Parts: sequence; C-alpha cells; structure tokens
Amino acid sequence: MRTRAHIPLVLAVTLAASLTGCGGGSEPTADDPVQLTYWSWAPNIEDVVATWNAENPEIQVSVTDAGGNTDTATKLVTQTRAGNAPDMAQVEYPTLPSLVVGEVAADITDLIDDETLDAYTDSTLALTTFNDALYAVPQDVGPMMMLYRADRFEELGLEVPTTWEDYARTAEQVRQLDPSSYLGTFSTDQTGFFAGMAQQAGAQWWSVDGEAWSVGIDDDASLAVADYWQDLADRDAVQVAPILTPEWNAQVADGQVLTWPSAVWAPGVIEDVAPDTAGSWAMAPLPQWEEGDSAVGLQGGSSSIVTTSSDHPEEAAEFLSWLNSSDEGATALLTTVNNYPAATAGQEAAVDTEPPALVAGQDDYYALAADIASDTLPVTWGPNYNVTNAAFADALGAAVEGGGTFRDALVQVQETTVSDMEETGYEVTG
Amino acid sequence: MSEAAPSPPQAAVGQHSDHGPLRRTTAPGPRRVRGPRAGYGFVAPAVVFFAAFFVLPVVYAIYLSLRGAKLTGGGALGIRRETWVGLSNYRDSLTDPELLASLGRMLVIGAVAVPVTLGAALLFALLLDVPRVRATRFSRTAIFMPYAVPGVVASLLWGFLYLPSTTPFAFTGISFLDAPALFGSVANIAVWSGVGFNMIILYTALQSVPRDVYEAARLDGCGEWQIAWRIKIPLVVPALALTGLFSLIGALQIYGEPQTLRPLTSSISSTWVPLMKVYRDAFATDDINGAAATSVVLALGSLLLSLLVLRLAQRRTRSSS
Repeated sequence: MRTRAHIPLVLAVTLAASLTGCGGGSEPTADDPVQLTYWSWAPNIEDVVATWNAENPEIQVSVTDAGGNTDTATKLVTQTRAGNAPDMAQVEYPTLPSLVVGEVAADITDLIDDETLDAYTDSTLALTTFNDALYAVPQDVGPMMMLYRADRFEELGLEVPTTWEDYARTAEQVRQLDPSSYLGTFSTDQTGFFAGMAQQAGAQWWSVDGEAWSVGIDDDASLAVADYWQDLADRDAVQVAPILTPEWNAQVADGQVLTWPSAVWAPGVIEDVAPDTAGSWAMAPLPQWEEGDSAVGLQGGSSSIVTTSSDHPEEAAEFLSWLNSSDEGATALLTTVNNYPAATAGQEAAVDTEPPALVAGQDDYYALAADIASDTLPVTWGPNYNVTNAAFADALGAAVEGGGTFRDALVQVQETTVSDMEETGYEVTG
Repeated sequence: MSEAAPSPPQAAVGQHSDHGPLRRTTAPGPRRVRGPRAGYGFVAPAVVFFAAFFVLPVVYAIYLSLRGAKLTGGGALGIRRETWVGLSNYRDSLTDPELLASLGRMLVIGAVAVPVTLGAALLFALLLDVPRVRATRFSRTAIFMPYAVPGVVASLLWGFLYLPSTTPFAFTGISFLDAPALFGSVANIAVWSGVGFNMIILYTALQSVPRDVYEAARLDGCGEWQIAWRIKIPLVVPALALTGLFSLIGALQIYGEPQTLRPLTSSISSTWVPLMKVYRDAFATDDINGAAATSVVLALGSLLLSLLVLRLAQRRTRSSS
C-alpha cells in the first residue's frame, strides 16, 4: 500500500520534467543548437558545411555520404517509411518527382523567401516546382559537354569532333592508331547520359498536359540515338562496359579512355578517380547531330530537399538557402565542390574563377560553361524515374549480353514505365 | 510390451501392484509441482526472441503483401498511398516472367553448386579419414578457412579474379563474367565458401563410426576405396542429408554473390536471382508490397522443397537401417 501512494507523485514529477524538454517553439541558442543531418555525395561538401557550422553555432549540420544518387534516393524512401530520414538530402532532378510522389520531399514553398527564389532563373526553378509548389532548392545544373584528353589528342593527331558523325569517325581512327585505347565508353547503366542525348536529339521522355501523362521513351529521336550507339558498339569503336568501376578508373588513369561525354560536373569526378591525369584534360562542347546547332540536354545536376521526417524544417530551409543561393554558399560550391551552381550569382562568379584542377590550363573553362548553360533544353521528369532507371540498365545489359538491339531495349523500357504508371493510377495517353 | 513408468529406485524393492489398500506409498521423490513452471521460465526468452524477430516480421510481411500503393490526390504528380489490394500482388508476382526467369537461373546455379559442394566435402572428409594420412590438421584448417571469409569479401575477391583486366586465368580464354560461364563463376564462389563447413560436418560424422567395423572389413579383404564406398558413405547418409538440406536452402537464398558482382559486369541484371528481384522491388523501384508478396511466395516454395527433401531422406534412412 505504501508503494501505491507514491505513484501519483512520481508520475506528476516525471510529467513535469518531460514537459520542460519539449519546448518546440523556443529559439535554438548556441548552448542548445539545433542538430540537422544532411545526406550529400558532392565531393568536399564537408568543408562547405564546416564553414556554415563555424558561422552558425545555433544550427549545426552534420553531413553523411549515403552513396550516389540511386543509393541515396533508395535509402531516403526506406528511411522515410521508418520515420528516420535525415533532415535534408541531395537529390538529382530526375529522381525528385518520384520522391515527391513517395512523400519524402516536403513542400517548402512557404519556407523559402523571395531573396532565394530571385537567385534562380525560371527555367531552373521549373525543375523543382510541381503543382505550383516548390519541393527543392536547386543546387547545381549539369549542362552536357565533353571532357577529352587534350594531350592524347595531340599525340595521336586527332581533331576534336563537333558532330556525332565526326565522333564516330574519330572513334574508328583511335582504334586503328592505338588498339589498346578507345575514344569513349558506352555504359549500359547510365540512364541519365542516354536521356540527355535523347533530349538533344529532340525526344521528350515525359510530358504532362493537366493530369494526363505522355511517355515517349521509344520515340523516333530516342531510337535514333540507340541506333547510333548500337552501330559504334557493333564496330567495336567504343567500349561497352560499366563506367566508374575500378577497371574503368584504371583505364582512365592509363590514358586508354580519351573522352568522357558527360556534363559540367565531370572534372571533379575524374580528378577523384584518376588524380594523376590532372592538367591533361580539356573541355569541349558536346558534339551535335547537325552542324551549327548548340542546344544540349541536362545530365544529372542536383537539388536539396527538406524531408517530411524533419523536425526542424525552418532551420533546414535556412541552411539550404545559404548553401545553394547565397553568394558565399554558391561560390563555395563552385570552388570547393567543383559543381556548376544553379544560382545565377554563382554562375556569374564562375567566370572569374580558376578552372578545376583537372582542366588546368583551359582558362576559358567557365566562360565556355556559361555559354553552354545558357542554351539547354527544358525537360520534364516523370513520377517513376526510379522504375525507368532500373529497367533501362537491365534491358541494355540483356541486349549486350544476349545480342539483342538497343532499340528493342528502349521499347522494353517504355512498356515497363507505362505499365508501372498505369498500375499506380496515372492516366497515360500516347 | 508396454514399459512401466520409471519409478524412484527406493520404491523398486517391495513395490506391490497399484491397487488395494495394502499399496505401500513410495518414498517421496522429487517434487513435480514446480517442474513445468521452471521449464517455461527457461524457454521464455527464446520464445520471446523467436516471436519478436521471426514470427512478427513474417506476419508483417504477409500484411504488407496484401496492400499496395495507389495514387491519391490530384494534380499531375499526386501522392502514392498504401491501400488494401487483396491478392493482386500475388497474382502479379506469380505471372511475372522476370521472376520465373530468375528462378530458372537460381536452379541452374543450385544444380551446379550443391552437388559440387557436397561431393567435394565428402571427398575431403573421406581423404582425411584414411588411416596414416599426414598433415590432417593443416589440411582441415586450410579447407575450412574460406568459410571464415565474409560473403561480400569472397565475392569481391573472386570478382577481381574473373575481371578480364586483372585475372590470372586469362590463358584459359574463358570469359568468366559472361554467360554461360557466369553461372559456373557464381556457383564457384558458393562452392569455395561452403566446402569447408560441410566437410567438417561429414568428417565429424565419420569420426563417430566405430573403428572395429573397418577392422572387420579389412580382415575380410576390403581395400580403402571399397571401405569408403561400401561402408563409410552409407554410414554417413544422415549427415549427408543434413548438409544437403543446408546447401539446398543456401542455394535457394543465393543473393550476396550476384549482387556484389553486379557492378563489375553488365551480364547480371537487377533481377538475376529471386532475392535480388525482391531487393530491387522493395528498395529500388519502391514497390515494397510486391516485394513482400514475392518473398512470401519464395518462402512457401522453399518450405515445400525442404519438406520434400527431408521426407525423401527420412525414407532412405529408414529403408537402409
């Protein structure tokens, strides 16, 4: 009986003590900082975050690399289901709609002030706005261009190709002059690269009219791109293998891969995998289908989301605004992370900056990048890019393996994407 | 002849029949009242863990498999929310050609890996059991060591031994990471890892055979080969059945080797074996309900197959004894 009398008192004290801990509306102070978690795979991002932490003791951010884009997006979905996702994460533009649909990315329209919004062009903001709501802060953009080994081109007496026809001819030349090298690698799991090339050829993989979607992954422009690479693969003019594997990295370091058609963020990646080749590379505009054209697609490029699991969305939005759109943050992204910032201020600052170490010596690198970035094609990404990505790698891999054509693989991807959208409940026309 | 229940030794002397008032009460034996309760107490932690980490997740998986994510909300994108869909996930799973293809590949790998593993394990165990064999301790350790290597490390190790640019086996001209050699390559990793464990089990079973059986056989003129073939192997059939069942279940659940090799080659798709398909559905394409249905189907299939194998093994053991 004696024990029972104490229970109400104990309960009251515990309740009172716990209530003092849940001061949700109180301001964070330097002694009681808000702890935020941020997932990002951008190289050297820890240094940029450290700058923020030093200047903002009341909001402390810890950054983790959760793997590349596909891994991070996958983990975000699982962690959100478990209620355990980080406060903020880096997400590539193609993956963003599927995260909006999966209730991972929070609506931050009310958390981002006009000053941040003014830092971007309308077309950049269109990449992160859906149904008139803003879901992410654009971080960098990836206009496509071609990295090439300037020293090896000189050694073999090659001219930098300006059209895809030139590229095919140069690829043959390389194989004849140096049988151990390839002009480039066609990777079966780089959906982003193929999508960018299809964009450049005029394809629209997804388009939406009101609520009705159209999926055109196997439209004529995309099939033409598939045929082009099929032809090069059949003639052994390009290597067909996964890129960024230890084997490919070793080949790059040895100078056996002469170009990497990708995007403006490429120098940072190559410097990571083959640091000894720094200084031997240069950047050229991506080859065009028609001589004289200049528009290119986008490959990759990331934005930052605030997750629906975050307990401190306002502080998270504040950090992301600083990181991506402020002068200090955008410049840090440019110089430390070697990304091409999406914020116009960052792009303008870039023109006066030293080129990345990989292309040291090409002083007009950022001026060229600014030119390329100003002429990119608009793109809409569908709600199930993750399904398309998985199907693409499987279908192309099966084609390479079993002797099928890339064309048939694209048709397969189209079918898989459309049936998944219809299964979920979307209206898909044409 | 039915046996009487064992009675305490003191009562054995002078025990009359059970009926009649002249029945002498037995000396007090151990009190039985507390027995059952103590037993439950000892078993309780194991039952709790079993329920929490095995039964509950299985129930949750079955629950997930009966639900699906459908579009709600308006606008072009909308939101996907989980709702009740009944058995449609099972229907989709069972009619999926990718699942059937992956099952086929798994069976091919199993058909290579299981007999080779058991055959090699039996051979090594028999060799180690030959009298006057030397370096037994070194051989046992050397054969067992691959089992101690974690699965992912073993796959990476062999992956680099298979890659065209780093392989020391280039002289054979075999392309290890392209079909059809790919099945053998993946099976090889499983064999390399599993032989040691199975060999230890079979060797231990051989040790428990009384030595005079062999003496009698030798007196009758049997050579070592005949002893192995006609005496040792039949006597370890129960252990063989055990290792066979383990290897079969392991083959049905093959996952780590192909998943780790996948970045090294474009010949392994994301649905190459059934468990890879479950992983891709659950995490890459955000279809956890379909993945739950597939895993329930796989679990039931594995259960049926294991019961079948056990039934066959029991029948053989019974018929041979």
